[in-house]
Amino acid sequence: MQKIEAIIQPGKLDAVKEALIEAGIEGITILEARGHGRQKGHTEFYRGREYAVDLLPKIKLETVVSDELAEKAVNAIIGAAQTGSIGDGKIFITRVDDAIRIRNEDRGENAL
Amino acid sequence: MTSAESARLAYQGRMAALKAAFADRAESGVGLIRARASAADDLVNVLWHQHAQELGTGIAALAVGGYGRQELFPASDLDLLFVVADADKEKSAKPVIRQINQALWDTGIRVSATTRVLAECDNYDPENAEFTLSLLDARSIAGDTALTAKLLDDCIPKLLERERRNLSQRLLELTQERHARYGNTLFHLEPNIKECPGGLRDANVCGWLAKLTNAQPTSSLEFREAFAFLSSIRCFLHIRSNRDSNALDWKTQDAAAAEGIGVPNGPPRDAAHWMQLYFRHARVIARQLEQQADAMPRARSILKQTRDFLTRRPVTDNLGMRVERGRIVLDAATPDYDPAADSDVMMRAFQSVAETGTRLSSTAEQRLEEALPLLSSQLDEGAALWLKLRLIFLGEHAGLALRSMHALGILELLIPEFHGIDALVIRDAYHRYTVDEHTFVLIDTLHGLPAPEQSPMAEWKKRFAVILHDLQHPDLLYLASLLHDTGKGRSTGEHATESMRLAQSVVSRLEMDEFESGLVLGLIQNHLDMSSALRRDIFDAETIRTFAEKVQTPEELRMITLFTYADIQAVHPDALTPWKAENLWRLYIATSNFLDRNIDDERFDSRVSSELVRRITQLLPGESREVLQFVEGFPQRYLRTRSPEQIRTHYTMSKRLTDDAVQVDFHWTSAHSDITLVTPDRQLLFARIAGVLAAWGMNIITADAFSNAHGIVVDSFRFTDSFRTLEMNPGERDHLIRDLHDAIADPAVAEKMIANRKRSRRRTPLVEVATSVEFDTESSTHSTILQVVAQDLAGLLYAISTTLGEARCSIEVAVIDTEGDTAIDVFYLTQDDAPLELDDLPALKQKLLAAIESNAA
Repeated sequence: MQKIEAIIQPGKLDAVKEALIEAGIEGITILEARGHGRQKGHTEFYRGREYAVDLLPKIKLETVVSDELAEKAVNAIIGAAQTGSIGDGKIFITRVDDAIRIRNEDRGENAL
Repeated sequence: MTSAESARLAYQGRMAALKAAFADRAESGVGLIRARASAADDLVNVLWHQHAQELGTGIAALAVGGYGRQELFPASDLDLLFVVADADKEKSAKPVIRQINQALWDTGIRVSATTRVLAECDNYDPENAEFTLSLLDARSIAGDTALTAKLLDDCIPKLLERERRNLSQRLLELTQERHARYGNTLFHLEPNIKECPGGLRDANVCGWLAKLTNAQPTSSLEFREAFAFLSSIRCFLHIRSNRDSNALDWKTQDAAAAEGIGVPNGPPRDAAHWMQLYFRHARVIARQLEQQADAMPRARSILKQTRDFLTRRPVTDNLGMRVERGRIVLDAATPDYDPAADSDVMMRAFQSVAETGTRLSSTAEQRLEEALPLLSSQLDEGAALWLKLRLIFLGEHAGLALRSMHALGILELLIPEFHGIDALVIRDAYHRYTVDEHTFVLIDTLHGLPAPEQSPMAEWKKRFAVILHDLQHPDLLYLASLLHDTGKGRSTGEHATESMRLAQSVVSRLEMDEFESGLVLGLIQNHLDMSSALRRDIFDAETIRTFAEKVQTPEELRMITLFTYADIQAVHPDALTPWKAENLWRLYIATSNFLDRNIDDERFDSRVSSELVRRITQLLPGESREVLQFVEGFPQRYLRTRSPEQIRTHYTMSKRLTDDAVQVDFHWTSAHSDITLVTPDRQLLFARIAGVLAAWGMNIITADAFSNAHGIVVDSFRFTDSFRTLEMNPGERDHLIRDLHDAIADPAVAEKMIANRKRSRRRTPLVEVATSVEFDTESSTHSTILQVVAQDLAGLLYAISTTLGEARCSIEVAVIDTEGDTAIDVFYLTQDDAPLELDDLPALKQKLLAAIESNAA
């Protein structure tokens, strides 16, 4: 099993969700996040005051999938979130040893 | 078979038959609980008589609690009280009591049995008020009749006589604690049918309060219907889960709705509509409890009594009502005049609720309810009604007033379109409240923005409160908020459009002009647009441009931003996270900047047809050519931020310039004043106006300067009157206008006034603010932006704008702001209709710094 964590632009959430569902991945967790990569922040000027936008709003998306589905999920995220511009986000993939469904104690891929 | 065994089988048989009859809807919930109590009575009696000889005299069995009230739900405990004459009897009867209890358990009945010596029943323990409360429902079942009579006819009445006040206080405390556990709202997606506000426990509390005050138990038809409905649901829940489960979860709602539980005339359409019935019934019980609690005598301190005495006076200058014991009461009716039946008094009463947060007393509510048929025939209509409604909307506690109007049916009398969303449920995981309550919470949220708060959202509240402060038409925002979801009451169509359609009829009945109705209808129609824009890339220029084109003007942007903030928060208390608030704020800033920095690029060209100009010329039939000449060359911003009526006023003022070269339009309110001058452009005009206002001690909030192709300027200032000069001395308002005339005609006048002001008002500032003068040459394509941060002193704006005027700078937009001792002023400057020359900026900066320093000296 693989855990896929993706940092994406908030505006791409709907498209990424749809792409993942289409790829057969149903269980995802969404977290509201802030951060910056290479594009850093910038400043906003409003009513004579400057607002530093050091940390930009981002969405962190997490899902754990079977090994066979992992590549499909990654491609789905890239396909839906990519604009080619700086700030499109990143995907991290890690190996998961086990998973347990709390309700009935199913383990492994059955728990996904 | 022993008599006990046959009694047990008889009980079980009766229960099975009752449950089957309930499932077939041959038996109601109330019928079932009464029948179960009766079946339990028979069983206890049989068991008692089986042991009658061993028990002897000096002991009796009584039903208490729900069983005592003959309200025994299918899986509820059997509350039994064994009263004994003395401790010896208690000891000797103990084995028999145990046998009776065991027999009941063996029948499948959970027993909550208590044994008390008669004298113990007389003790009131505040820590165990529940026991004394259970005695209020005590009912004889079996045993020593003399002992029972002593308890029921002597002991309990004396106890009540002695502890009436303490017990009622404690009961109200327990009720408040219970309500707090459920968030003090009856609007839960999955309510607890017994414990939630408006639940069955509240109905019990109504009964106990009546007993504690020797009042008649509540007997209104709607209360009985509400109790019957909730009882049926609780029976359904108990039978379905086969235990004392009172949580009405989603699945159970579906099942109950499908079976039409509690609905005499067949099943309703779906669970949402069935839950609508639940909320309506729960609201009846909650309101009944509130009224009874309100009428309870309370222990009052001397301080409170004094305060009560002091508050026993008319509310503001309103005849027909006053405040008594912290509630608004309507004066007693006289043969010729009843204030409760006077629609003027009624609307002023709700205005007072909105302004002060003081509730109407329950008697006032009852009298209004009774007078409703008469009131409905003499309600205000049109502009007169809007005038009164807007005063209610603008009150800090408008939500409270509107809820009260809604509960009494008065809101629906005034705005029948609201009826469709009465207790309407939106069944999804996000909506916490019914649609009507969501609307009131939204209005509460808007009014609560300026209130200080210690929470993670405090910073955001502060920022959005600034937008609320800048709003020019807050009343229209509240009206739009009230109507924005009315379309949900119709099952057809997309709700925003449906709500807008319903609102069209409301604004037309309120006789609003096109500008006002346009703002209200536009906001309702587009109320989801900002939430949609938030789901796109809010840093993308295209997103901003598209959104800005939709909102068109800064005022509409402010309205939709505030609306979206409050709308999200009113879905669920946790729905608006700091993350969402930040995105909303960023979209607001970006759009606001887009509107400020782009609209001035475009000037009005009469060759291009425009809906707005069509509307203006309609107001001035026969003068369309002159009107077009007047608006020619004004920045588009002027046309988009002014209503057709305002532009008509400015045009009319411009026609009088031949009589008087300075035309002034002045609107004073206690909150802020607006002054608009129409006059031929001249050097230092803005500076002179700023100088006069500063000399009068006025705090300028915003200012705009516009000029048309013929050199006529329309300069507008909004300001607050820090020293309440104009409020305390109405005659001074004319004096201010005269001063403006004189100062515009003669620069020396303004100079002299400022000098006088500085001498009389010099004060030591609390905080030293360092002066900063910065130019931004990149944010706007058409202007150079100047930002000045400096110590806020009288004459500062005059000193800055004079220097700018002397440097031949034209002020396109001025955004003036003050935070404590700090003035933050931003100017959009042009020179010959172009941004300033970069080479000139260092010298201008030096001049500005010198002027600010000289003003401060």
